[in-house]
Amino acid sequence: MKHWLLFLLLTIIPVTAVTFEDDDMVVFLGNTVIERAQKYGHFETTLTLASAKKGLKFRNLGWSGDTVYGHARSYFGPPQEGFDRLKADLNELKPNVIIVCYGAIAAFEGKEGLPEFVTGYERLLKMISETAKPREIVIVSPPPAESLGAPMPDMKEHNQRLALYSKALADLAKKHGHTFADFFTTAGNSTGLTDNGLHFTGNGYQAVAPKFVQALGLTLPTGNQLQSEPARKLRETIISKNKLFFFRWRPANETYLRLFRKHEQGNNVKELPMFDPIIADREKEIEALKQTTLAVK
Amino acid sequence: MISKLLFSLSLTTIVATAQRGLKDIPDPDPVKQKAAFNLPEGMEIELFASDPMIAKPVQMNFDTQGRLWLVSSGMYPHIVPGAEENDRVLVLEDTNNDGKADKRTVFADDLHIPTAVLPADGGAYVANSTEILFLKDTDGDGVADERRVVLSGFGTEDTHHIVHTFEQGPDGMLYFLQSIYIHSHLETPHGVRRLMGGGIWHFRPETQQAEVLSKGLVNPWGFIFDDYGQTFATDGAGGHGINYIFPRSVFVTSPGAQRIMKGLNPGQPKLCGLEVLSGSHVPEDMRGVLIAPDFRGHRINAYRLSPNGSSYTSTRIDDFLSSSHRAFRPIDVKMGPDGAIYIADWYNPIIQHGEVDFRDNRRDHTHGRIWKVTFKDRPLIGKKDFSKANIDDLLKHLISKERVHREYARGELRKRDRSKVLSKLNSWSGTLSDDFSRLQAVWAHQALNTTNVGLVKSLLASKDPRSRTAALRVIYHRHGEITEAAGMIAQAIKDENAQVRLWAISCLAQMPGPNSVPTALQALDQAMDETLDFALWSLVREHAAHWVPQFEAGKPVFGDKLPHLLFAMKALGKTLSLDAIFTSLDQGTLTPDERKDAISVVSQVGSAIDLARLMDLAGKEPAIIDQLITAAQIRKLQPKTGKEKLLPFLDSDQPATFASAAKLAGLWKLAPAREKLIAAFTGSPKKRQAAAEGLRLFGDREALNLFVKLSREAPLEATRILAVKELAKLAPDQAATSAVLLLKKDTEGRDPHGLFTSFLQNPKASSALAKALKGKTLPTKIASLGMQRAGTSGKPPKDLMDALQAAGQLKPMSQQLSPQDMAKLVDRVQKEGDPHRGETIYRSPNIQCLACHAIGGVGSPIGPDLVSIGASAPVDYLITSLLNPNDKIKEGYHTTLVTEKNGNTHTGGLVSEGDTEIVLRDYAGQMNKIARADVKNITISPVSMMPPGLTAGLREDEFIDLVRFLSELGKEGAFKVSAKQFIRDWAVLQPHDRTQDGMGHYGTAIFAEQFDGYQWQAYGSKVNGQLVPAELPKVKGRGRNRWGVARFGIAPSPQGTVKLKINDTHLMHLFSGEKEIKLPEKGPAVVEVSGSKDPQHFTLAVNSAYRPAPVLLEIVTE
Repeated sequence: MKHWLLFLLLTIIPVTAVTFEDDDMVVFLGNTVIERAQKYGHFETTLTLASAKKGLKFRNLGWSGDTVYGHARSYFGPPQEGFDRLKADLNELKPNVIIVCYGAIAAFEGKEGLPEFVTGYERLLKMISETAKPREIVIVSPPPAESLGAPMPDMKEHNQRLALYSKALADLAKKHGHTFADFFTTAGNSTGLTDNGLHFTGNGYQAVAPKFVQALGLTLPTGNQLQSEPARKLRETIISKNKLFFFRWRPANETYLRLFRKHEQGNNVKELPMFDPIIADREKEIEALKQTTLAVK
Repeated sequence: MISKLLFSLSLTTIVATAQRGLKDIPDPDPVKQKAAFNLPEGMEIELFASDPMIAKPVQMNFDTQGRLWLVSSGMYPHIVPGAEENDRVLVLEDTNNDGKADKRTVFADDLHIPTAVLPADGGAYVANSTEILFLKDTDGDGVADERRVVLSGFGTEDTHHIVHTFEQGPDGMLYFLQSIYIHSHLETPHGVRRLMGGGIWHFRPETQQAEVLSKGLVNPWGFIFDDYGQTFATDGAGGHGINYIFPRSVFVTSPGAQRIMKGLNPGQPKLCGLEVLSGSHVPEDMRGVLIAPDFRGHRINAYRLSPNGSSYTSTRIDDFLSSSHRAFRPIDVKMGPDGAIYIADWYNPIIQHGEVDFRDNRRDHTHGRIWKVTFKDRPLIGKKDFSKANIDDLLKHLISKERVHREYARGELRKRDRSKVLSKLNSWSGTLSDDFSRLQAVWAHQALNTTNVGLVKSLLASKDPRSRTAALRVIYHRHGEITEAAGMIAQAIKDENAQVRLWAISCLAQMPGPNSVPTALQALDQAMDETLDFALWSLVREHAAHWVPQFEAGKPVFGDKLPHLLFAMKALGKTLSLDAIFTSLDQGTLTPDERKDAISVVSQVGSAIDLARLMDLAGKEPAIIDQLITAAQIRKLQPKTGKEKLLPFLDSDQPATFASAAKLAGLWKLAPAREKLIAAFTGSPKKRQAAAEGLRLFGDREALNLFVKLSREAPLEATRILAVKELAKLAPDQAATSAVLLLKKDTEGRDPHGLFTSFLQNPKASSALAKALKGKTLPTKIASLGMQRAGTSGKPPKDLMDALQAAGQLKPMSQQLSPQDMAKLVDRVQKEGDPHRGETIYRSPNIQCLACHAIGGVGSPIGPDLVSIGASAPVDYLITSLLNPNDKIKEGYHTTLVTEKNGNTHTGGLVSEGDTEIVLRDYAGQMNKIARADVKNITISPVSMMPPGLTAGLREDEFIDLVRFLSELGKEGAFKVSAKQFIRDWAVLQPHDRTQDGMGHYGTAIFAEQFDGYQWQAYGSKVNGQLVPAELPKVKGRGRNRWGVARFGIAPSPQGTVKLKINDTHLMHLFSGEKEIKLPEKGPAVVEVSGSKDPQHFTLAVNSAYRPAPVLLEIVTE
């Protein structure tokens, strides 16, 4: 039933597939839906298994409440500082592929907010292209919101706004020659995948991960593979790696480590690179687990 | 010289960040810790739980079964690379009712510095760094097996600031707080919600609505509702004791705040946690008292609140309890299910990680205690498992006399079948007739996310204003469900009680519309106070879009109420039509106060044409000149015509009037004024400085040439110096050479004309001075003063500092100690230091501690209040702070650096940040206003306002005494500021000729005379409240008599009179106004006086030549 539905979706939506190459650095960028994906690992696990390429590295730079202007990344300064911080992160990671999903928050501003969103998005794309020179930028439309019944708000109107923003994102991708992944459409109308109407629960991510991967134009691993014991271990290891990377790139105590009180406790910043070899070890495990999982019939 | 000592000690110059000086690691034996408590009569303390059962408790809350939930973090302050996340939620139970926890369940063990826990809604909400989680045990084994993220996007910029202090409101909402460095971005189905800096949130799980209740505070680590739903917060770094929290209130350090509210107890110790004492086990006279842990001072403070206008008066009373154990760190306090008081003791000799290294090995990660306080001969209240109670039973407990039972019953109702509960609750509510019960029923409805409008109405009609405000609080959150809300508020804004009016304003803030502001302004028809003024000001601005267009369209928004219009315009601060104001001014129908207010509004918001009309009025109101200066500087606006009307003011023989006119003439570049200014500059000593400033403000070639000429050729040195100073601002290159010549002569090293300040205002100017110093020498003293000024200027100019160091042949300012030397010095402080001598050194004018710091609110507000520095900071930290202030900067005391578009820089503490102006407080305490229009950027500077080298002039033993004194501040003993109301704030009389002559005729009454020629200087008591006669300025009397004369004020009390206790009246005279109060010849005395906040009201004279004994005055209340 599920596969049948996906097949139907695939036949009606023309999809350009994202292409990976061996040893690609892949960055996820966006707000809460992207940020929380690293906790549950379903998106990344499914994506890992959907590509035959070796040595893919995923880095999740999602940040709750973030916008194309960098509002949530700015700490003590104006959004521009958040934008600059992202630029520095991309400069360090130099991703080959970057998967961008913004629009869920911006859509609250409705039709009037759309021009500012598009302008900001174009500025972001320009910065990404210039900074990281990725081989491919994928623009992902935000998933629809769920109406969970009173007293929770009815999200019908918000979904109309999201549809408007998704359409604008499709146009934007076309205009700039980027890949467009229509997650808004592939995710479909559902209830029960979120508990606040916006953000997936663990089960929600599991249910929607295949749709996310389909939106990216990739072929799903088999159900047997996804439900296998090696796949479970693979997801666990991916989650563990994501945590380590989170402590590395977005550490607590930034004020002391790198900002205006670094003259007091900035010496502790020396600990951050100590995460790197541990992350590398996890990635070796991930690669091995991927091969084991793909060997499952 | 201490500097010499330190350099000789300092063979290796390793930065002393490891801080190995703290050696007095206390014995963790709980028996010894228990013995170290200092308890008031009738109180007992027992250990409820201890390590290894628990460790490092951060916050705790009880559940409806009477179990204690706590979060525990061994990971704090920062995850170690490769380590697992292993912080825990623990549940403690006393299953055999012996008063001690005997069962511990680890509910969760993979958390990341969890800072709050609230058992509710069938599980537990847990603050987990970037997120709030809801954890649930679904299979009954006591361990969480289900987890969801409730909210995410909380900042972690500092791990003692992260989202914390969970409290369930009586309304069923989850309240949580965040601190100064945190920036949070929450996505909710109602839109994104952001909070920059500290603040208080509320969140309703049923609707996922999260909103900000209040903004600011440094570390708001305590939050509580009183019995009527009013909210209060404490601050772990702000030092204002209890803060009254009302909707949209804004407190210190909120980014972008143009105006802030103050707490109720300025100068109090910093606090973590807050609880209201309640229940029948607590002695009656203590119920309603707020208690809050002073974790630095190893004690729990107590405060009593009484209504005062729309807010409260908070009086600190005797400590609830204290301990002499250095690792006792009470950080949370809660009433328990048995009516006892539970204290979470974080147990640590080191309290934080901003100033002490993350990995400092003295940091404790394994201990922790829960203490339980009871009262002798008073029965505990019966513990009850509310999870087993049926709905009817729960309803009965909603009106229990025990507050904890009311809370558990309400919390339990939220878990039951909602429709069943509502149906029973509704019929039960109908049987209630008293305010107390009705309020509990209203809250129960609210906790179930619904509103009983009938009950809200009945509370609004109550005779008790506390019930009326409680009803308004419901309307604030749920006005959408109450059709008559607008009418109810229209009545409430006219209420006789000020706090009811405050809440009416708050409600209006939630209901924007064309009438919200006009209705709210009716509050002006009755007495206003600071809190009401703030709320109204904030509403006028927030709702501008709703009233301004109507006003501009000529609609009678304010009716005929000119004060309403004036208030609104002033609050808004933008140009609007002022016709109505001018009409009133012209008609002369205004009272003098209204007139003053009207003029001030015109100058703040008027157009160029309006300002011209104002200039016409300046003859009668000279204050207008100053207002026009502000308009020119901040608003960049000048009168359209008639500027020549300023000229006559330049002929004034009043120096102050001339100074204002000169400045304004310069700002306006008023050509005909120039001749008059030049004449004053060269000819009139009293007007010289102002004239120079006025001329400089012309800023043109002519002014420049004049200063060049006068800096070289003026016959008087004073004129030459002023010319150099002003020239430094116009053409630093040309001023620098002359400046060096002047500095060379300054062997005293005082820079009396502020030359350095002039050159430090702009990087180009400081570079010019650096260049001119090349190859020159300067006296050591003036060169080191220059280093101090440059070093604290926000963006220290390296070139100038190098040049000063070379010219003055100075040794490097930075004084770094090796760990070994630091340990030696710390040891000597502990063995040899004399805190009493240290206090005298602290108070001596030479080393300037008093110029910037207060102790317990007495003293200057520029630097941090040192009231409990000794109890919180290790000795090595104190030494480093004194030697290298930049190494240790307290939260909230960072220097702000404002750079103007023309390159000029200003540094200081940020006071307010408005749409039109930024206000900084500089190192001299001066308020510096900068026009927003001129600002290029505002940044936080890593430089302390405290200059290095302040202690360089001390002998080694003096330095050790000073450190010892600081290290005793706040600890149990003689240097802890007492809760007693001693008179601490004074103004002391400087010697004056008049006294010696006048004493013959008038006796000591001469001191009490209202004579303008006297100079009074602010002065503070010693930490113990005493004034030492010999330390007061010696005012000459007859013969060998020398008098210490000090004035003080006393806040009026509701009774009208205040009892003043005097330790010893020997050789002392006391005056109320000019009238002498009869005192006995000697010995202790109590006199009754009437209060008056006027700081000049009471005059005390003590013959310091013959009375060495200290003076202690205390306000006593029954």
